[in-house]
Amino acid sequence: MYKFFLYSMLLFLYLGLAKFLSPSEMGIDYLQNEKTFSKLISGNHATAILTDTHATGFLIKTFYQKYRIISGLTVEDRIFRTSKEFAKKNLTHIGLALYAKNSEIETTTPSLPGMIYVDDREYGYWKERKNGQIVWVFNKTYKHYPKYLGWGKYRPDELTFQKFRSHLLTGEAFLGLNNEFGPEGSITKKYFPQFFKVERKKKINLQTMMVQFFKENF
Amino acid sequence: MAEIFDRLMIRLLLVLFVCLMIFLYRYAHLIFYPTVKRQALTKISPAENPADTLHFFSRLLGISVIFSSITFNEASGFFLTLLHFTLWGILSITLYLISMYVIESIVFYNFDYTDEILKRKNMSYAFISFCHAITVALLTKTIMQESQSSMVILLILWLFVLVLFGMSVKYYTFVSKLSFNRLMMQQNLALSFSYGGFILGSGFIIASCFNQEHYDITIYCIQVLLKAILSLLIFPLFKKGLIYIFPIKYQSAMTDDNGIDFERQQLGYGFFEGIIFVSAAILTTLIVNRIQFGSIYPFF
Repeated sequence: MYKFFLYSMLLFLYLGLAKFLSPSEMGIDYLQNEKTFSKLISGNHATAILTDTHATGFLIKTFYQKYRIISGLTVEDRIFRTSKEFAKKNLTHIGLALYAKNSEIETTTPSLPGMIYVDDREYGYWKERKNGQIVWVFNKTYKHYPKYLGWGKYRPDELTFQKFRSHLLTGEAFLGLNNEFGPEGSITKKYFPQFFKVERKKKINLQTMMVQFFKENF
Repeated sequence: MAEIFDRLMIRLLLVLFVCLMIFLYRYAHLIFYPTVKRQALTKISPAENPADTLHFFSRLLGISVIFSSITFNEASGFFLTLLHFTLWGILSITLYLISMYVIESIVFYNFDYTDEILKRKNMSYAFISFCHAITVALLTKTIMQESQSSMVILLILWLFVLVLFGMSVKYYTFVSKLSFNRLMMQQNLALSFSYGGFILGSGFIIASCFNQEHYDITIYCIQVLLKAILSLLIFPLFKKGLIYIFPIKYQSAMTDDNGIDFERQQLGYGFFEGIIFVSAAILTTLIVNRIQFGSIYPFF
């Protein structure tokens, strides 16, 4: 009994010390759910776009999400450790902004990235194209935003903006008028390709795995 | 040809130099064992006292192990090489002998060298001391390699390794069924094999904990400590597992008055326990140090 007690104490000491001192526990913030965004992301104007997600571990999984965070003129890629529920829930939200805020709105509704800046005079203006379509264009200071946001040549029009506003009210995810964004969206696949890499999706069968193993080892 | 001959000469001179260092060590040994003047100053007679011979020459083996960790950098000049070897040699011998003194003071707290070796010719004492000598040498060699030619780091690591090793020798009473003090007085060889296996195993584990890359001494020490605690958790599992896989018979009819089986005190049990300890320790190093978990962000 005494030995068992001693062993248990040792086990707890190891777990405690390892958690406290482990390099993997340092420098990575824990994003429990969407409510935690506001604590982790500073700045009055910010957008967090989910660009990749990954789980590590054999029996006990640890979930990580990679975000592109745009705040003012700074852009950074940050990795957060997250809960299983939040990671699973957002598997269908790759390429979408899971958090956005400006001086008026703060939302965690998954939506087409950068829509928070649309119709904000500080960031840009509405411009009529030759075909008569009115689209949102960023002004010179923020001319790189389409690249940061993963838009490419895509520019939202007024109808998209109205739809976005209505989705904000319902809390339903907004993937663009023709689902251009999100895991099935062509624009997301093109500008955030990491998650969609073929080797990530490839399922290796036992035979292939064995052949590869013997090739590498003999 | 001249260059080859020159290199051969350098090697021969270095052989002489190492022998000179060992000669110096013979007298340095007197500082810690002043009662053995006879060993250092006169010819040793192995037949007269085998226990004394084993005890004395185990240190020589230890010194040889430690010297094997010092490198000769001939490119910096012959005399600088000799100076480097002399400095590090003296430092390593000093640390080694202090370590041996401290460890033997802890383990043989109730025993005296003069009584046990010189008067009683206790082979059990001598064999345990032999195992200490090899293990401490292995640990000193490890920290010398890890110190990266920094004497400050060497001293920090030496203190750290001494604390870990000192604690590990106390762990023996938790894992063995043999009574150390009682069997030592009986000159029981089973104890020496069991304890020898345990102490060698501890040495392997501690040396493997120190054997890792380091950029920052604090982080390195923390990692060593964590690995040492993890080893403490893994080692009993392997020990139990091995005993379960290879069960042995205890003859309860031969139990003595103190409740300790007679069979257990025999040589066979000492071999069994000693080998179980060494095997469990080596397997522990496998689990603690040889698993590559890879990066936690393989795709990011």
